[in-house]
Amino acid sequence: MPVFKTPFNGYSVKFSPFYEDRLAVATSQNFGILGNGRLHVLSLSPNPSQPFTEIAAYDTADGIYDVSWSESHDSLLVAAVADGSVKLYDTALPPTSNPIRSLREHTREVHSADYNPLRRDSFLTSSWDDTVKLWTLDRPSSIRTFKEHSYCVYSAVWNPRHADVFASASGDCTLRVWDVREPSSTMVFPPHEFEVLTCDWNKYDDCIIATASVDKSIKVWDVRSFRVPIAVMNGHGYAVRKVRFSPHVRNLLVSCSYDMTVCVWDFMVEDALVSRYDHHTEFAVGVDMSVLVEGLMASTGWDELVYVWQHGTDPRAL
Amino acid sequence: MAMRDLITGATSCPDPAASSSSSANPLGALANALIGSSSKTNERLKEIPTSTPTDPSSHPPPPSHFLPGSEFDKPLLDPSSHGSHFLNGFRSAAAPGGGALEETWDEIQRDARIPPQLDGGLYDRAGPPPHLQQPTLDGPPQRVLSNFLHSFLDSSRGGVPFHPAPLPMLGLSEGDKQCIRDRSSIMARHLFADKSEEFIDAQVNALLSSLDIDSNVRGKGPMPERFRELEDYWNESQGNLRLGPHPADGWITEYSQNRANLDNPDSWANSFQQQHGANGWVSEFENSQLSSMDQMHAMNMPNLAAMEQTRMLANTLAQNNDPKFQNSKFLQFVSKMSRGELIIDDNQVKETAPGDWATEYQQQYNPGHSWAGEFLNDKVSHGPDQWVSEFNDQQHGPIDDQWVNEFSKLHVGDWADEFGQQVAEGAFGESSSDNWAQAYDEYLNEQVAAKQQSDSSRGVYVFSDLNPYVGHPNPLKEGQDLFRKGLLSEAVLALEAEVLKNPENAEGWRLLGIAHAENDDDQQAIAAMMRAQEADPTNLEVLLALGVSHTNELEQTAALKYLYGWLRHHPKYGSLAPPELADSLYYADVARLFNEAAEMSPDDADVHIVLGVMYNLSREYDKAIASFQRALKLKPQDYSLWNKLGATQANSVQSADAISAYQQALDLKPNYVRAWANMGISYANQGMYDESIRYYVRALAMNPKADNAWQYLRISLSCASRNDMLEACDSRNLDLLQKEFPLQ
Repeated sequence: MPVFKTPFNGYSVKFSPFYEDRLAVATSQNFGILGNGRLHVLSLSPNPSQPFTEIAAYDTADGIYDVSWSESHDSLLVAAVADGSVKLYDTALPPTSNPIRSLREHTREVHSADYNPLRRDSFLTSSWDDTVKLWTLDRPSSIRTFKEHSYCVYSAVWNPRHADVFASASGDCTLRVWDVREPSSTMVFPPHEFEVLTCDWNKYDDCIIATASVDKSIKVWDVRSFRVPIAVMNGHGYAVRKVRFSPHVRNLLVSCSYDMTVCVWDFMVEDALVSRYDHHTEFAVGVDMSVLVEGLMASTGWDELVYVWQHGTDPRAL
Repeated sequence: MAMRDLITGATSCPDPAASSSSSANPLGALANALIGSSSKTNERLKEIPTSTPTDPSSHPPPPSHFLPGSEFDKPLLDPSSHGSHFLNGFRSAAAPGGGALEETWDEIQRDARIPPQLDGGLYDRAGPPPHLQQPTLDGPPQRVLSNFLHSFLDSSRGGVPFHPAPLPMLGLSEGDKQCIRDRSSIMARHLFADKSEEFIDAQVNALLSSLDIDSNVRGKGPMPERFRELEDYWNESQGNLRLGPHPADGWITEYSQNRANLDNPDSWANSFQQQHGANGWVSEFENSQLSSMDQMHAMNMPNLAAMEQTRMLANTLAQNNDPKFQNSKFLQFVSKMSRGELIIDDNQVKETAPGDWATEYQQQYNPGHSWAGEFLNDKVSHGPDQWVSEFNDQQHGPIDDQWVNEFSKLHVGDWADEFGQQVAEGAFGESSSDNWAQAYDEYLNEQVAAKQQSDSSRGVYVFSDLNPYVGHPNPLKEGQDLFRKGLLSEAVLALEAEVLKNPENAEGWRLLGIAHAENDDDQQAIAAMMRAQEADPTNLEVLLALGVSHTNELEQTAALKYLYGWLRHHPKYGSLAPPELADSLYYADVARLFNEAAEMSPDDADVHIVLGVMYNLSREYDKAIASFQRALKLKPQDYSLWNKLGATQANSVQSADAISAYQQALDLKPNYVRAWANMGISYANQGMYDESIRYYVRALAMNPKADNAWQYLRISLSCASRNDMLEACDSRNLDLLQKEFPLQ
């Protein structure tokens, strides 16, 4: 399956919700420690000799840590930039008009961006300034800032069923669940004893959420009874950087880790590990599953490579 | 193993995947991913100058001042923001013209804090190869920083091309520093979560002190204590279920205990002082006789500690048996620091070769200094108990990767024991430093005797077993004839016979070295040249060849030493070189001297050749190419010069140009194995693997001992999906390969 080489270190990869052959990749120079960033918009082609076409590439003055496709406009992207800005890009516009917005409110690195899949005009960003911010396209400033975490917020993701509910994972070792109509978080619990780096909602059961941590484990929780996890999945050798639930199979989730592997898990069976993909040669930090093509996965990492492959096949196979 | 040569020989861009790394070449990248981790070439790949994308389909980045959306970035440029101050400063300071870089650089060194300009300021790494017209985007400062940061997570041996660059003078703004500080702290916490806070601090401090960033100023401190509200909430929710203290409490207690000790990130220093009394042994040592070492102490204490810490980290990580981990750039960086290949001295980041201690020792320090450093180093390792155990682990634990091996080969443990004994015996008398020096000499001798593999450049010459020329009446003459005829392997044998007969014959050794270099055997070439230099320390050609070899090895210190030696012993330019400079060679100084020499006699091809080599050292490939082209105008028949030009062009990602340069070299000297191999590399870099295979096979047919070429051949075979021939490659079945891949 195709592989794409980025000049900088990969940080995040996301499939377009509109086109099955399109994906966006966020990259940062110098492992995101200092330097530029570049956002790539790629198109997959069936032609094996030229498997990727680059539709657009946007440079930023600092690394890009995450990217999210708009759910309302097929050409719109939100980028989480390490300089604290949130930038919007429209691939339909000429490069000179991009970014179409640069929203500057976070005071530290923005680490995640997530577009609301139900109320398609809004998105969330989370930052190392300990806050989560809610934005809409039509306003120049954020609608609301959620400040309860006491350390970096690595991830904030919308619930796929409730347009007002989202969860945030933080280095303060907690997960918080919020309803934007409420003044403060509706739930907080410590899913891990160490920093929580990522979380994602199950796409079929709106009460199930997965968390992963620097403690190398992935845990699946029912937010109605969070004292005991539904499942604990060990197997990664280092901190788990990202988890995503499958859009097609209820019990399937994918994770990537500083141990350089991408793993697929079935959290309902005892022997949860379904597959382990070992294709990256540096930390694997970005992974996604296509909504439009069942089983199609993408990953990126600090080896500056983006892989797209069908679950069950070898990402490196040609 | 010998690093691949860019000048005398192969380019340092041997890998098709990494050098022309772009989507245009996914196969190569893939091959790298597949083969790279298991192949020795990996090490070599790491020294590839950070490649620029060559993907024709990718949009070339716009000039930074027209960066789309940069209007949004303006708020970013207030003084407190992190960003690219140093670049802006650099740009604003730039003078027009190609020769302005040095001046600019000096100017920046004088005034690092030039007010920023209004544009967004890209760190220019991407985009087309830089041209002289825009020197401001291609200046050494970015390179130094970019390379240095890469080497933080990367093993590029050429990490700091602008050799003695005082990093703080890069003009890293407070914002830049804060970025590095904060981001590396947070990342370290992710990676080393199951280690103690102390450990994590140590890692980060190691990096920060390398960059001379004050670790006391923390933008984002370590994790705060667990959220109070949560604690209550959690306890409440646990209710009576709690049997005994909840783990979380333990964690907090432990954490706060750690905090107590660790509020000061330099706490190791404190604990060291507690253990040994404030300046205890230091003053003792100082008072005895080495009054000059206090300065050394002040400078190096943090760095040596940093080294210890990275050793500790290196060891911890080495326990991970996953080969992937051991190939990780990040870990290679760490191991590099732990080996002392990246050291800080007098606020300068320096690279040293693993076995370079001896040289460093002789060149840079008087014995007292060096001892002070070693002593410090050793003491630190005996400081906090944890380090001792880590250190012991490292000495005796499972040692299964290369760098740990190398480190342990240095016998630091033995040395430490010995030192410990002496301390116990109260050996600090007036005469102690003599003993020390003696012991150290012995230690160095042992090291030399150990003939470490890693130390290829100081390798020992290996003679062929069966040499028909032994007993030949005049092997030198025979060797010269054979060499002229281009029968390199035969010439090698004849010249070996010569130097066996007359070990002091510098010319014999020199020609032997050249024959090996042209035959694409670097290790032997360097060994022979070293012997030539022993026999005749002022031979200009030998000095130049050694300078080139060490440039290829990216050993800047050594390269500068020989190139400077060339200048000093040159009858015409010797007066330019002040002898006192020899003690502390800086790239800028030496470059300046050669530029003066070039002005003095613009028609001396040799000066331009040396300048070309120098610019390779600093990776200013455009200048290097210009220098070589100038030399070629004067010496169009010099085939090795064409090869140098080709290799430099290959390094600056102009593989197509490189091929025509190599072709020139081959027209002049058809049996030039190195040029054949280089040709293969350039084809591979352009994704033309079939062609590259043919050229490698051709080179190998002429010299089957060219190990590098075998490795490149293997890569190209994989990239060309000719896995069916891999076995022939592995078994070195040249007949089959030649039949399969004839060169039209």
